[in-house]
Amino acid sequence: MQQNKPLISISNLQVSAGDKQLLSGVCFDLYEGEMLCIVGESGAGKSTLIKALQGMMPARCDSFTYAPSNFEVCGAIPSGLGLPQARWVMQDPLSALNPRQSLGRSIAESLHKERLPKDHLRKRVLSVLSDVELSEEFYDRLPSQVSLGQAQRACLARALIAKPKLIFFDEPLSALDALVQKKIAHRMEHLRRATNTTYIAVTHDLGFAAAYADKVLLLRDGTVSAYQSRSAFFANPQSDYAIDLVAAAQSLGALPKAAA
Amino acid sequence: MSLSQSFSISKGQLVDPLRHFTRQIALVCLALLSLWSLALWLTPYEPAAADFLDRLAPPSAAHWAGTDHLGRDIATRLLYGAGWSLGLSLAISLTGFVVGTFVGIFAARSGPAGDFAVMRVTDSFFAFPELIAAVTFAGLFGPSTTNLVIALMMVSWMKFARLARALTVNLGESDFITQARLNGLSSLLILWRHLLPNILPSLLVLWTNSWSRTILSVSGLSFLGFGIQPPSAEWGAMLLDGKAYMQTAPHIMIFPGLAVLLAVMVINLTGDRFRDLMAGKT
Repeated sequence: MQQNKPLISISNLQVSAGDKQLLSGVCFDLYEGEMLCIVGESGAGKSTLIKALQGMMPARCDSFTYAPSNFEVCGAIPSGLGLPQARWVMQDPLSALNPRQSLGRSIAESLHKERLPKDHLRKRVLSVLSDVELSEEFYDRLPSQVSLGQAQRACLARALIAKPKLIFFDEPLSALDALVQKKIAHRMEHLRRATNTTYIAVTHDLGFAAAYADKVLLLRDGTVSAYQSRSAFFANPQSDYAIDLVAAAQSLGALPKAAA
Repeated sequence: MSLSQSFSISKGQLVDPLRHFTRQIALVCLALLSLWSLALWLTPYEPAAADFLDRLAPPSAAHWAGTDHLGRDIATRLLYGAGWSLGLSLAISLTGFVVGTFVGIFAARSGPAGDFAVMRVTDSFFAFPELIAAVTFAGLFGPSTTNLVIALMMVSWMKFARLARALTVNLGESDFITQARLNGLSSLLILWRHLLPNILPSLLVLWTNSWSRTILSVSGLSFLGFGIQPPSAEWGAMLLDGKAYMQTAPHIMIFPGLAVLLAVMVINLTGDRFRDLMAGKT
């Protein structure tokens, strides 16, 4: 793999709505197979960042490159619907899945643009279902007929089936209970290693970031408060806010021993 | 919250309760339709054939529901009347359903200005109460079946438009629609696969309500003489026929009255059941 060129790189991202500056001066770059955790309190602009990168919000930047589509812009990010070869796993699996559509068909829709024959498509769906450890019978189930964790796995499958280079996760674990969180997090990590996919994950959970992230981007009020590798962030946080945050997480016992 | 809320298990398979119920209803309707056609075919009487030697006869083996003031067989007339009372109101309410749903979705999808314009027109139609609109129409253009249908159709679609718009606006922001857009589905396909299946159940419940109300309107207007004209056998018109003989031959009014009551009740209860299933009750 070409490790010299990042898969996605952005510098000085600016997002505003009206006269309110939602995000400013956001920079990061990520190489293939890496995972970036975006942390910060509610309203810090975490989800806005994900939407802006996908062209779903008007945004400006000094430069934005995205290797899979040889995409390079400076200035306004063209508004559109999503980056090519990227998928987005949302926070609440139940609202991200059509309640009147079977899981299998929801997952298959991720390949809508490829216009595959039906039997081939079904095979792909069944194989990705087994990747997220769901059995074949889930193909025909409705979202209301599965547990929350299973629904979130189906959402993960919907992202994975497209074999994307980049997956956005918007608090993928926050709707789940602790045990299911752990299972899904393990599954995500395993699949990232297996497929060398890049992850950008928004999370509240510093423990999750400490366990899996390669890089941590801490946002506060729309600006970058810290942008460090995982080990540096937890050992030697860049800003006062980051120091407080890591200390708070440690005192709550939310961080694994190794990271502390 | 999600698990076990809305599924039932039969033969080891998970069943979508709404689909299951819809299938059952379809079967029942089919059975009723065939019974009805069979009865129309088997009955020895004509709905408009008068028999003045056998007027106002009470129910008997020959005339199961008796005969009316012209000696016509009431049971046969009830059968034919079902075509008018149920069929006509079905057509009217279905038209309202389709038109209203289309208008509502269109309003929700056409931006703030279009939405405003369409919904204000809808509101202005709400200003006409159903029956009064139909009576006015009959007064202006003369009482006839066509005018009754036109008048009722004109005031049948607004409720559907309002509900469809509200549901569409609500769903338009939902995550799964965003996902469908990101996956490159066309607007039409999103409408078909994601929007309609989610708004239709609520609209169907409203439609059962609208159908039963339309039955009452059609019968009521015919009873008042504004709707279906004699000698057509419509249930409301039959009630009108029997009015003069209420004291001496009550069966002329009782049977059509019961027919209306039964039809409206069955349709409403079906709608209620559907709504319960939608809400996850079993």
